[in-house]
Amino acid sequence: MIAAEGLGKRFGEVEAVREVSFAAGDGRVTGLLGPNGAGKTTTLRMISTLLVPSAGTVRVDGIDAAREPLAVRARIGALSDARGLYARLTARENIAYYGELRGMARRGIEESTARLAELLELGPLLDRRTDGFSQGERMKVAIARALVHDPPNVILDEPTNGLDVMTTRSLREAVRRLREAGKCVLFSSHVMQEVAALCDEIVIVSRGTVTATGTLDAIRAAAGCEDLEDAFVRLTGAATQEP
Amino acid sequence: MIARALTVFLKEARDALRDRRTALMVLAASVIAGPLILVLMAQFVSGLEDRALTRKVRMAGAEHAPALVNFLSRADVEIEKAPPDYAERVKAGSLDAVIVVPADFHERWLAHEEARVELVYDDSRTESSPAIRQSERLLDAFNRETAFLRLLARGVSPSLNKTVKVERVNTATPRQRGAAILMIIPMFAIMATVLGGMTVAIDATAGERERGSLEPLLANPVSTLAFALGKWLAAWASAALVAAVTLAGFVLAAELYAERKLPSLLQFGVPEYARYLAVLVPLAALTAALEMLISTYGRSYREAQTYVSYLSTVVAFVPLVVMFSGGREAAWQAWVPVLGQLVALQRILRGDGLSAFDALVPAAIAMALALAAVAAVARLLRDERIVFGRS
Repeated sequence: MIAAEGLGKRFGEVEAVREVSFAAGDGRVTGLLGPNGAGKTTTLRMISTLLVPSAGTVRVDGIDAAREPLAVRARIGALSDARGLYARLTARENIAYYGELRGMARRGIEESTARLAELLELGPLLDRRTDGFSQGERMKVAIARALVHDPPNVILDEPTNGLDVMTTRSLREAVRRLREAGKCVLFSSHVMQEVAALCDEIVIVSRGTVTATGTLDAIRAAAGCEDLEDAFVRLTGAATQEP
Repeated sequence: MIARALTVFLKEARDALRDRRTALMVLAASVIAGPLILVLMAQFVSGLEDRALTRKVRMAGAEHAPALVNFLSRADVEIEKAPPDYAERVKAGSLDAVIVVPADFHERWLAHEEARVELVYDDSRTESSPAIRQSERLLDAFNRETAFLRLLARGVSPSLNKTVKVERVNTATPRQRGAAILMIIPMFAIMATVLGGMTVAIDATAGERERGSLEPLLANPVSTLAFALGKWLAAWASAALVAAVTLAGFVLAAELYAERKLPSLLQFGVPEYARYLAVLVPLAALTAALEMLISTYGRSYREAQTYVSYLSTVVAFVPLVVMFSGGREAAWQAWVPVLGQLVALQRILRGDGLSAFDALVPAAIAMALALAAVAAVARLLRDERIVFGRS
């Protein structure tokens, strides 16, 4: 369960995010939809405690992120905007490093790696060094690394960016299975189809603030359009015309 | 936190061991540099010997040895009268070598008794050795000529060949002789700690940022101090290891190669090696921590490399300043990082005693500064501008 309340972030003169509020529930996939530069990544960084908000609060499973950042981090698995791997380590070693950093025992890491390899179809890659990996393979390892501790809350920042169709499909399937497992999945994307296909709840972000929240149907109804793309253009376009 | 720091250390160490750049650095430092430096030093020494000499000797009591003076004039050698305080001057280095003739020389020489002269010198300064050799050679030649003429005059075959006995009075201890050449080893050892930790320090900070692995790493529930500590330990281990391997190369090369050309080098043996490591390991902690601190500001591996090269320039400059200023050792030098280590390393080579003060003060200062730098790195890793770039 992730709850953002009046989140704002300033970088000097620039106000990247302001008044962002939404709640992402357990057992649901919540999509943060918005064009590039809308403030999605900044919002997700504040939720994963890497950035300190200039305003507002973040609560993860009821824990205040500003007061107990380490406790919040322990309850989150985040695929961040930057997702570099260690090229001289194998996929398994990359995943195990994060497990060890989270204080897991060797056995727990092994079991978790096996489970994630199954979920993300990583099997044959596990014992290869990651320097020759394709973008999709790297993405899968980065996700496995972020989820090694089986966190109740999963944050995925543009996970399908630059992936081919097959990898995107298998990733979508993985997200659905995470939802079935009762996780709170918070997912950001600038691709409407993706969000439409996957999300139970959609939060549209434009120019640093939330312009609409609700299910796919609710969003379409609010914009008065059948098509999500039209609704998206209308909702984000409306924001651009505000003073 | 210690457990997490250890996790970070083990990962960085494994990563570094698989890095070809690290392997190359160790190889270059140990296998190539040690022997190479020794060859260069041997060349330097023989170059000094071959250098054209002004034919001049300094004598005290020349009036007691007219025969020797006569011989030297015939050999076209200029004779200069030595000042009365020649012993002090030799020790201080303003005189190279002085031939001292006792008052009874001429009588004994005429009586065909063993006539004594003293050759006073200090060859711990390499620049003195040509003048010393020259005096030795001239005295030898005089000795041979006299013996030859006497035997000839008696119609005896020249089997008696010692009329003059040269007693050497060298004011340097045997170990100090080699140390004059071996000032290079301390400099090399200090640079090894700088170069040895560089790859790991940069890779673990700027490299991590360039790869895009810093942001996800910091999302783990681990304090930035644990990250900084673990990474520093890895860089420190690398720096210490490279220094150890480099010096081991020196010890080995000295054993194998220098026996003929540089006998003094043999005094860089295992006990000196152990003392060297005791000085260099704390220094490596400091150089590794400083390199990390500097590299944390670098956005890319290359940028950080540039910054770190400034640091190595500064460090390389310290020994040079000492070498060329010809400064004496002073107590305050122990308090200056790098300079304190340099003085300690020189004393070890010279065989002078290393007091607890000389050994512990530089080590304590290096460790304190290293820990401060690590704390600064931990702070920087909490800085949004550092982690996400200067946006």
